Order: sequence, then C-alpha cells, then structure tokens
Amino acid sequence: MSSITEPIARGSHFNRILVIAGHAFTQLVRMKVFYFLAVFAVIAIASNFFDLPQHEGPESIGMNVLRSIKSWSLGTMTLFSVVLSIVATALLLPKDVEDRTLYTILAKPVPRFDYLAGKLLGVLILVFVSLAMMDVLMTVVLQIRSSMILTQQIAMAQAQGWPQDAIESLRAETAQHGPNWALQGAVFAVFLRASIMASLALLISTFSTSTLFTTIISFLIYFIGHFQADARDAYLQAGQAGEGVFARMAALVFSLVLPDFQNFNVIDAVIEGQAMPLMVLVKLSLIGLYYALFFTIASWFVFAEKEF
Amino acid sequence: MKAWQRNGILLAALLAFGATRIPLEKSLGDELRKDGLVPPPLEIGTRDKIGQTSSAVALGGLRTLVATFLNLRAFSFFQEQRWEDVADTFEMIVDLAPRTRYYWETGSWHSAYNAASYYINNSSMPSLRRKEAWRAAIYRGRAFLERGIRNNPGDWSLLSTLGFMLTDANKFPAFRDPDATFITAADTYQKAVDTGNAPAFVNRAQFYALARAKGRETEALALARALYADPKNRLPTLQALLLVLEAHENPALDTAKLAVELFGTPERALEALSGHWQRTRERFPVDGVASALGALEKTLAVPPEKSILNKPLQVPNGPDQWFSK
Repeated sequence: MSSITEPIARGSHFNRILVIAGHAFTQLVRMKVFYFLAVFAVIAIASNFFDLPQHEGPESIGMNVLRSIKSWSLGTMTLFSVVLSIVATALLLPKDVEDRTLYTILAKPVPRFDYLAGKLLGVLILVFVSLAMMDVLMTVVLQIRSSMILTQQIAMAQAQGWPQDAIESLRAETAQHGPNWALQGAVFAVFLRASIMASLALLISTFSTSTLFTTIISFLIYFIGHFQADARDAYLQAGQAGEGVFARMAALVFSLVLPDFQNFNVIDAVIEGQAMPLMVLVKLSLIGLYYALFFTIASWFVFAEKEF
Repeated sequence: MKAWQRNGILLAALLAFGATRIPLEKSLGDELRKDGLVPPPLEIGTRDKIGQTSSAVALGGLRTLVATFLNLRAFSFFQEQRWEDVADTFEMIVDLAPRTRYYWETGSWHSAYNAASYYINNSSMPSLRRKEAWRAAIYRGRAFLERGIRNNPGDWSLLSTLGFMLTDANKFPAFRDPDATFITAADTYQKAVDTGNAPAFVNRAQFYALARAKGRETEALALARALYADPKNRLPTLQALLLVLEAHENPALDTAKLAVELFGTPERALEALSGHWQRTRERFPVDGVASALGALEKTLAVPPEKSILNKPLQVPNGPDQWFSK
C-alpha cells in the first residue's frame, strides 16, 4: 500500500491524479474486463456472415455486409462502454471503502478532488483503451471486407464497360461504408457518451449507499437521457398544444436535470454511411467535457464533507 | 454545512447547469436534424410493435442494431412467404433507420417483386383475388419506395430503383395508364440524374422511359441526339430508338440508310433492329423499323422465309394471361 500512497502524497495535483488513475486502471484490469474483447472479436467476425441473398444490384453488392459489420461492432462498443463505465465507476468507491484503501489515501494530504478525478480518469482510460482495441479490430475486419467488395465491384463495372467517372463514383460510395474518419469519429462519440455516464455514476456513487443503487439509477438515467430532448421540445413548444402548467414545469425540470443523449445518435448516421463533419465532433466533445467537468465538481462537492 | 444546505446548493447548481447547456444542445440537435445526421424520434407505434426489450435497446442508442436484427427477422418471413409480416417488419425497420437506402429498396422489392410474383403463381386463390393482390403488392412496393425517396431526397439509387420498377414489363401493366407511368419514370430518372451522383446508365434509362411515352416524342428525340453525341452511349437500344424517333419526326426518312449510318454495317443494323422489333413486352415504339428491316433484308438478300418480318411476334404476356384461369 505504501507504494501507492507515498507518491500520491507528494507532487502536484496532476501527478496525484495520474497515480490514482493508474491504480484504478490496474485495479479494473485485474477484474479481467479485457476478456470481453474475445467476445467482440467473435461478433466482429460473425457479422461478416450476415450476407443475406437479397435483391442487390451488382453495383451495391456486399454493401449490406459492411453496414452489418459497423452496426454490430458499434452496437457492441456502445453496450460495452456504457456498462463498463457505469459498473466500474459504481464499484470503485465502495470497493475502496471495503478494502480500507480509501482511509489510507485520505489520511494522507491527498485532496478529495484529486482522489475522485483520479478514479474517474482510471475508468475513462480503461474505456478508451478497450474502445481503441475494439476499433482496431473493427477497422481491420472492415478494411479486409471492403477491399474484397471493391475488387468485385470494379471487376463488374469494368466488365460492363462503365466509364471511369462512374467507377470512381462507385468507389467513393463503397468507401463511405468502409473504414473512414467518420467511423473513427463515431467511436469517439461512443467514448464521449460513456465518459458522461462514468462522471454521472461517480456523482451518484458519492451519495448512494450501494453499488446496485448507483448502477440501476445510472442505467435508468442513460435510457431516459435518450428522451430528454423530447421533454425539452415539449417544454419549449408548450402552449401550442394547450399543455397545463404542471406538465410544462415537469418537462422543464426533466430537461434541466437529465443529460441529453439524442445528439449522440449521430453514430447511427455514420453506420448508415453518412459523413460526420469535424465540427459536429468538436461540439459533441465540448458538450461531453462540460458534462464531465460539472459532474466531477458536483461529486467533489458532495464527497468533500462526507465522513467515513 | 448542513446536509439540506448542501443538497439545496447541489440542486440549484444542477438546474443552472441544465439551463446553460440546453441552448447548446438544442442548437446542435437542430443542426444535426437539419443535416439528416440524427433520425427523427421513434414513432410510438413502432415502439409498441418491436416490443419492450427491443424498444429499450433502440432507445439506448442502438437503433441501427435493432434494425439489423429486424432485417434478419424479415428475411425469415420472406422465406416463409408471410408477406404481411415482411411488410410490417420493414415499416419498423425504416422507422429505426430511415437513412439506409438498402432497407427501403429491399422492403419495396419484397412487396413489388416477391409478393407480386407469389400472387401470380399461387393457384390456391381465385384469379380475381390473385390479380387484385398482385396489383396491391406492386402499389405497396411503389408507395414504400416513394416514401424512401421523400426521406432521402438526394439518393440517386432510390430514384433509379423507382424508375426501374415503373418501366419493368412485369410491373407497369399494374398501373392504369402506361403512358403516364412512363412519364413518371422518366421524371424520376431525371431527378436521379440531377443528384449528380448517378452513373451514365441512369441517363439512358431516363431516355428509354421517355421514348415509350406517347406525346413526348420530340423531347425524347432531343434527348436521344444528346446522348448519342457521346460514343459511350451508343448501345443498340439507344441507337434503335434514335432511328425510331427520327422516323416518327420525319415519316419520309430513308430509315435503312440511317440504320447503316447508326450501326456501321447493314449486318449489324439488321441484327439490332430485328432484336428491337421483337421486344414487344417492353412497348418500345417501332416507327420506321419495319421499312428499315425490309430494305436491309433486301440489301443482304435474306430469303422471305427467314425474314424477321414473317416471324410471328410474341404476344405481350401480362395480367390478362396470368390471371385468365
């Protein structure tokens, strides 16, 4: 234990946060979370075989498989990252209390903010590393498959005497469904959503009495977060449909308190082959950062005076 | 600080945080919706139909994944020839993933092609009911595709698929007015060309549709000439139709001479025009073809018993034959 606490006691806030984050990361890795990658590999490879014998014309041959690979892979990444970020964050504080590590750390001159930020950063590093590994796997599978499809398509186009511009148009269309920057942006959006959930779970875990409570409430908020925009619109457009004051106030509170995850559904558009402008990703990142900062500061506010 | 004070401050901060982020999120949401990067909210009917679990998964940011599962389910229904279930499933799929061209095209294809063919061949139903079911399946496939086009206005492939359906010899007899159908098909292909992404064959397909619409011959001739100017477009169907439209414009034209000019040699002209003469199912116009064939056969000394003009023409096969018994 001294090896963990000694460097924590010295140095800057940043160093302390990094040390705690490293410790949290190691702690989570020892829980064998990376075994999930084997499951992901199976899913990414299996999604190659959902090539249904349907009506596709020769110019769109195999496109559905590329969409299937992206849909399965990004879906699995979303599930994994959300579950991991919520459960891992919900586990960390109670586990430190149970192992009595928390008392040892807080007995040192370690600010509580550093402790919380370090724990959160540890979870985020774990989610980021996991997503990066899954992303590499997905990109490799997608690259191999899209090259195969492109070869088939170009052979078909040349056999039919397509002009060069039409072949280029076909190549560009297939490339939209292959590995590209928009897809990497979608993976990053998955990470941002998971980061918001991790910071929210951290806030809940500072006043919750059990891991189970934190996990359940976080998942509920995650699902309700996909409706938040509906509540916001209901509030903003209230009066047009003759809603009562109570309904309007309920919609307002609902939209003020809960996070909005609908904007992250841009991931679906990328799966469908659309490009994600860089500016959209920047805006999503700023919103994600805003959430994470607020929830971390709020967690510290609750945690600062908590007695153990 | 007392607990109630701390909780009060936290709640106030949460509300203030919400008030600052809502305008940002709304503005980004509006921008994404305008650019078609975020699908519209899931319809309540769809939430009910896909079931609670799938609905929760779909609302959890996994709409396209649920759509992929439903596509697999639709394929099982297709194999079992449960056409109503196939159509219902594709309604849900496109609500989940409205920007995926593949689902619109596949849903439409199942209805207008697979279900329609099933009713042609299903001997267990009375002919009148089969005919109505066949027609309804084609109408439904067309309506589905048109909805897909409204949802994806810049998609050349959806427009081209609709144009193809409307000019398909097995489909256009379902629509009451063939000329109006060909004009709609030509307009649809034109919209596909206007997207700027359509391959060259779409432009030719537009011409093939327009050439069949009575009353639009002058317009079709202008398009034919423009297309013919590009050597890549000089395919037998286009060349034959150019000759037909020129003959329609000028009935006194020496069509045999023009045919040799267009096709290069009398042999090639005879072969291409013979093929065109026999394509009765597609309802291509044949103005001047008979006279050109007669003159070419004379030039090439084709004996009368081998003349294409003496061979019986295939009677166009359509609903009257399919549902006669």
